[in-house]
Amino acid sequence: MNAQQPYIRVIHLTYDYPDGTRALTDVNLEIYDDEFIALIGQNGSGKTTLSKCLNGLLKPTLGDVIVDGLNSKTTPIVQMVKRVGYVFQNPDHQLFNSTCWDEIAYGPRNILLPEEEVKERVIEAARVVGLTEDYFDSHPFFLSKGLRQRVAIASILALRPKVIIVDEPTTGQDSRQSFEIMDFLKDLNENHGHTVIIITHDMPIVAHYARRVVVMGLGQVLADGSTVEIFKQIEVLAKTHLEPPQITQLAQRCQHLGFDPSTLTVEQMLEQFQHLSKI
Amino acid sequence: MSAIIEIRDYTWQYLNTEKPALEAINVDIYEGEFVGIIGPNGAGKTTLALSMDGLIPGQYHGVKQGTVKVMGKEVDDYPRGQLQRQVGVVFSDPEAQFTAMTVEDELVFGLENQGLSITEIHERLEWVTELTALKPLLPKPPYEISGGQKQRVALAAVLAMMPKVMVLDEPTSMLDPISRKRIFEVLGRLKREQHNTVIVIEHSLENLIPLADCMILLSEGKVALQAATREFFQRIAFLLEKGVYPPEAMQFFYHLMQNGWYNGDLPLTLDEAAAKLETILMPHHSTR
Repeated sequence: MNAQQPYIRVIHLTYDYPDGTRALTDVNLEIYDDEFIALIGQNGSGKTTLSKCLNGLLKPTLGDVIVDGLNSKTTPIVQMVKRVGYVFQNPDHQLFNSTCWDEIAYGPRNILLPEEEVKERVIEAARVVGLTEDYFDSHPFFLSKGLRQRVAIASILALRPKVIIVDEPTTGQDSRQSFEIMDFLKDLNENHGHTVIIITHDMPIVAHYARRVVVMGLGQVLADGSTVEIFKQIEVLAKTHLEPPQITQLAQRCQHLGFDPSTLTVEQMLEQFQHLSKI
Repeated sequence: MSAIIEIRDYTWQYLNTEKPALEAINVDIYEGEFVGIIGPNGAGKTTLALSMDGLIPGQYHGVKQGTVKVMGKEVDDYPRGQLQRQVGVVFSDPEAQFTAMTVEDELVFGLENQGLSITEIHERLEWVTELTALKPLLPKPPYEISGGQKQRVALAAVLAMMPKVMVLDEPTSMLDPISRKRIFEVLGRLKREQHNTVIVIEHSLENLIPLADCMILLSEGKVALQAATREFFQRIAFLLEKGVYPPEAMQFFYHLMQNGWYNGDLPLTLDEAAAKLETILMPHHSTR
């Protein structure tokens, strides 16, 4: 994977909020095309701040963020948001137009695209998130949370960013809705050429969907590696208030019975059980 | 023993909606019980929480049938504000309940309104900040702290009021796994030490299950299943059909069962699952 150039390079990034709170300390990260990354860590560990640095909403206090060869310090935000889109944790913090159409069209209009292209992009983004025409004139606030989240994602997709960051995509969703949203992000990643970064506390979701995990704690990157590797590092996870998914914990507890401590899913656990019990 | 909350043939329909949000609900909750309420979004969980606090019908327009009694008295018959001292609700959106400019003010707001003495307010503030580990945040504005921290503040503000019944609507949805565990530890302490009645609406079941005495599944406005926790989860096929996904260890054992490789109760916790797995695979070595 390192043969190609990283799409995003975060170099010695430190970020202080205006009140002096240091949110990020010397973060280094390279993000490549087509990755599916989970950014995890305890509340207040700097995940959201890092995301906002990646799309240029926040400028580094020290260090640099280079996206597609552009330095976020000197690149207008309009150029940044075309490359990295950030979907807020709470869609209601982001939605403010009175119809879904205007909501999705807001971004493209804001970067001064001709109305014809705006239209094209809205239709495309709505199609990708599975929002049918019936909803175009609906007020976003009267939709279910799951649909509002899709509108929020569509409004970011309409800017056609290469990288899409979704902050807590499954918070407040029930199990069925969570899998629906995640399958949809997986589709964006696998079939539409987007790099997807999710910020989440839901470890089973990470185990099922992410190929790479970046662990943050106290504003620093504590670990960065494949999902399998990361869930083996229990001490590192504990440092930032995390623990592996329950099925991984069960496998780890039953290692003496022959289970693989890097088991990530119920299916993998079943296969091992079959083998171990020689059924 | 009579129920602390007694709901009989209760139906509630919000104004301008086509069908009831809750229909023909019958639920008894006893003092000191820890009750988990689960179900897909839109099933009526929050409506039920609001009904137990008297915010429905008090603050919402709609049509009510049947009765909702708290401590033997119909919720509508409580003078305004009285019931809310007995039943505290922590909302899923913490910002919905914030009014003050600092976390400390937020925590003492309700206490001052109850007309408590300064000493008492200090004591409760101390107790609740210790319990929820909020000390460092006291001088901060509630809107500047993280989502998870907001949730802790919302919980602490209600805890400080020491209500007899606490209703928590997805109290940990924004929290990291360990903070989530901590909140449930706090709830466990309340149950053991203060004998509070605790009602928790939650999607994440791992932490809820070990504490809950009984569980209620709501589906499309109706009670689809209510039972003691262990019994409740033996109906796993029904739960899955209703869109409820039990913890992974339980799902794993359910698959074993379906394949005929295990029969017995489904394990409720990681500890139980590990012990059972050991018994299955090493029947002669196991001590359990």
